[in-house]
Amino acid sequence: MKNKRSWFTFPYVIWMALFVVIPILIMMVYAFTVVDPDTNIAYASVGNFTRMGVYLSVFLRSFWLALVATVICLLIGYPVAYWMAKEGPRFQRIAMALVMLPMWINFLLRTYSWMSILENNGLLNQLFRTVGLLDLLGVDHLQMIGTSGAVVLGMVYNYLPFMILPIYSVIVKLDGSLIEAARDLGADSARVFSKVIFPLSLPGILSGVTMVFVPSVSTFAISSLLGGGTQGAMLLGDLIETQFKGGAYNPHLGAAVSMVMMVIVVVCMVVMNHFGEGEEQAVML
Amino acid sequence: MKRKNRVGSRIFIGLTFLFLYLPIFLLIIFSFNAGESSAVWQGFSLKWYTALFKNRLIMNSLYTTLLVSLLATAISTVAGTFAAIGLYSLSRRKRDALLVVNDIPMMNADIVTGVSLCLFFVAFFEGWGAFAHWFNTQELSVLGHILHLPDELALGFGTMLLAHITFNIPYVILNVAPKLRQMDKNLVDAAQDLGCTWMQAFGKVILPEIKPGIVSGALIAFTMSIDDFVISYFTAGSSTSTLAMRIYSMTKKRITPEVNAVSTLLFLSVLVLLVLNNVREIRQERRTEQQEIRDPSFFEKLSMKFSHPSYKWVRRGAGAVMACAFIVAVVLLTGATSSRPVVNVCSWGEYIDEDLITQFEDETGIRVNYQTSESNEDLYSLLKIGGADYDVIVPSDYMISQLIEEGMLQELDYSQIPNFDLIDGRFKYLPYDPENKYTVPYAWGTLGIIYNASMVDEEIDSWSALYDDKYAGSVLLINNSRDALGEALLYLGYSVNTTDEAEIREAFSLISDASQRKVFQGKVMDQVFQKMEGGNAAIATYYAGDYLSMLENQADGVDLRYVIPKEGANWFVDAMCVLKDAPHYAEAMEWINFIASTKANLANMDYIGYASPNTQALEDYPSYYEEKYGEELDPELYEIMAAPPEVLERCESYVVLPPATRALYNDLWIELGA
Repeated sequence: MKNKRSWFTFPYVIWMALFVVIPILIMMVYAFTVVDPDTNIAYASVGNFTRMGVYLSVFLRSFWLALVATVICLLIGYPVAYWMAKEGPRFQRIAMALVMLPMWINFLLRTYSWMSILENNGLLNQLFRTVGLLDLLGVDHLQMIGTSGAVVLGMVYNYLPFMILPIYSVIVKLDGSLIEAARDLGADSARVFSKVIFPLSLPGILSGVTMVFVPSVSTFAISSLLGGGTQGAMLLGDLIETQFKGGAYNPHLGAAVSMVMMVIVVVCMVVMNHFGEGEEQAVML
Repeated sequence: MKRKNRVGSRIFIGLTFLFLYLPIFLLIIFSFNAGESSAVWQGFSLKWYTALFKNRLIMNSLYTTLLVSLLATAISTVAGTFAAIGLYSLSRRKRDALLVVNDIPMMNADIVTGVSLCLFFVAFFEGWGAFAHWFNTQELSVLGHILHLPDELALGFGTMLLAHITFNIPYVILNVAPKLRQMDKNLVDAAQDLGCTWMQAFGKVILPEIKPGIVSGALIAFTMSIDDFVISYFTAGSSTSTLAMRIYSMTKKRITPEVNAVSTLLFLSVLVLLVLNNVREIRQERRTEQQEIRDPSFFEKLSMKFSHPSYKWVRRGAGAVMACAFIVAVVLLTGATSSRPVVNVCSWGEYIDEDLITQFEDETGIRVNYQTSESNEDLYSLLKIGGADYDVIVPSDYMISQLIEEGMLQELDYSQIPNFDLIDGRFKYLPYDPENKYTVPYAWGTLGIIYNASMVDEEIDSWSALYDDKYAGSVLLINNSRDALGEALLYLGYSVNTTDEAEIREAFSLISDASQRKVFQGKVMDQVFQKMEGGNAAIATYYAGDYLSMLENQADGVDLRYVIPKEGANWFVDAMCVLKDAPHYAEAMEWINFIASTKANLANMDYIGYASPNTQALEDYPSYYEEKYGEELDPELYEIMAAPPEVLERCESYVVLPPATRALYNDLWIELGA
């Protein structure tokens, strides 16, 4: 009786095949072809991958900075989420709203706002100058813009709410009787945390880490605004963007870089989720 | 009860919020700034709020954002709901396989989704173009007489909408599916046994059961669409832009406080709704204090979704829906749509007196869709990827020859452009267009060094300053391969048009070494304005005309100078061209003719600071300036603007490089960031 409606899936399957699966296959076709500059004819080649060694530093930097940003988000986000969950319901509700509110201002604008804070002649340096800190250090300004520190700051700033919210929503739903039981069995606060609360909040941490890491590793606007985009600042997102819409047109190489990034990210996620908890809805590839 | 840790924890939470809100407060404060700066307070004013409603570019992008979000939400909600019902009548194995595909768009980085869809559309357009050409040339086919297929498709609103629907459907399914799982399947059977058709059963039984899932799915789909930037950026083409895309292109030059104003309004409306919602809930709570079950608040419902590791929708807060009500009101107020004839123009940032656009529209009734691109290379990428449906573009000399060579330009109908006669003979029949069939010059100028004399203790007269450790951290490298490598080639004493790989590599390593030594603060194009005017960098290279507009806006204590280095420099001509198969050819001719007029050239020259190719305008400018500002034009400035022949003699213009050299430029250029 129920199989009657299975044809409902046909349009969906066709749609997803057309706009999800085929585009990824086409991206792979692009990745495995190069264009001869003289004849303008594309031919099959692994040339895009063999020359990717040059960009090894970009890969390493992107994954490293994304990792640093994720760890910082976790270090700030976990305590905030944990303490928020311990507060009264009204505090919680207001705090929740405050965590989500910044997301309604376009992230580009918020990042741009950081730019005017961190500039060599920006608000922070002006403040330091007025306070006399710069004279004390004997410098004209503190170099903040254009450093990887600024890029990490941008990532932490933009993605911190994605870490706080999932952890909070898991902790707030924790069964209080489990904690009571642990206490009754003689565990002190530290043990309750390490044996009960932390393991149970792991699913929240995992989704928080995913939500911060994936956009951080593939961002391109944050690094070009705060990192300056020169040597030692280019990230994978910038590398891909320049080859599609920027100053070095080469979609074949861009597709190859995207593909490699996609594979690494997926592998990271699968390993992490495996390592975490298998029973948590594994919706990975 | 343990209360002792509350203070410490609250301070920590408070500091985190301070961190989250500091930039937002700044943004709000500077939306009330009387000046244009986002760092220097010049007094309170509401002028950006009034300017906002007159800013057509921002209002149009608001309209686009809203339209694409509403359409994508409506379509994906219906499609996703039926797909979810279908999925639940499949066997478990099949369903699980499909759900894996369903997760791909949610788990992939936005940029990968965007890029793959972009390539898909481009490939499809190519195939379609070939098919349409074949179809249209089939004389025998009866259909061919009735039906003429368009053979040139480009990225635009349609492709962006398809992309939005694609990334929205999975979220709808994800929200509807749990409700279907909870539903008692026998209910449908019972309804049908009692004589309902399936559709009736759907309306009377299924729909009420799964309604909460559908509503939250639609809400999430809508907020995702509203906030999306990356996927739209890769699939929308060039003449369609959402608010986020508009802001992105603005971050590349100057963010005008109008954007701060629109964000402030959005932020405040969401804030007000939140407060109202909270007050209402607190009242309700008091009323139903004794009742155990309280309806979870909107935010709690949202936050529950976070336990699912699909990360993206989170960014889009649900209150954006309410923010949208505001957008609707604004759009209705200004009536952003119209069906007048259009011409799509793409030029550079800060490269036109915008009054000219209004004047042209008033005179001809043609609406101008004015877009900007950052550099010749960016423009080329856009044209190649099929994202551009421009009519008129304004590339520089060497790019024009490349476009002609690749057959991407269309010959102009000079009988429609009588003002071409007003162009000085010096700027006609130049090597990039030897027979002058494709171009009408727009402006010309030189590329030189701009430096802040108060941050530098010598008179700079050589390109060497760009690579000098002395200025580490305060040099801005120009962000396009041709100019950046050209400067290095000049410094080394080579031709800017060399095809010798060794010379180019030598120039590259000069830049790359300096970059490794952290000499450069960043790679910039139009961001140079804000950086140099604010005294945030000491040395940059940019175009003479832009130096003049920086001079007008320089902050206190900044002393900008322009110099053509002793090693020589580049001089360029930017000219208007029409793209092959431009959809609005006749309108394009009118636009070009209008811009070539002496009146427009004078206004442009005054506004953008670049020299005009119009003989009369060039000659009249000093007196025009005197009349307009009541003071004499500094002859030195006029010389910087319109370089005299003896200066031009020291300058070399770019010619198009052979494909292999261009490929080398591209490769080196991306290597620079590595």
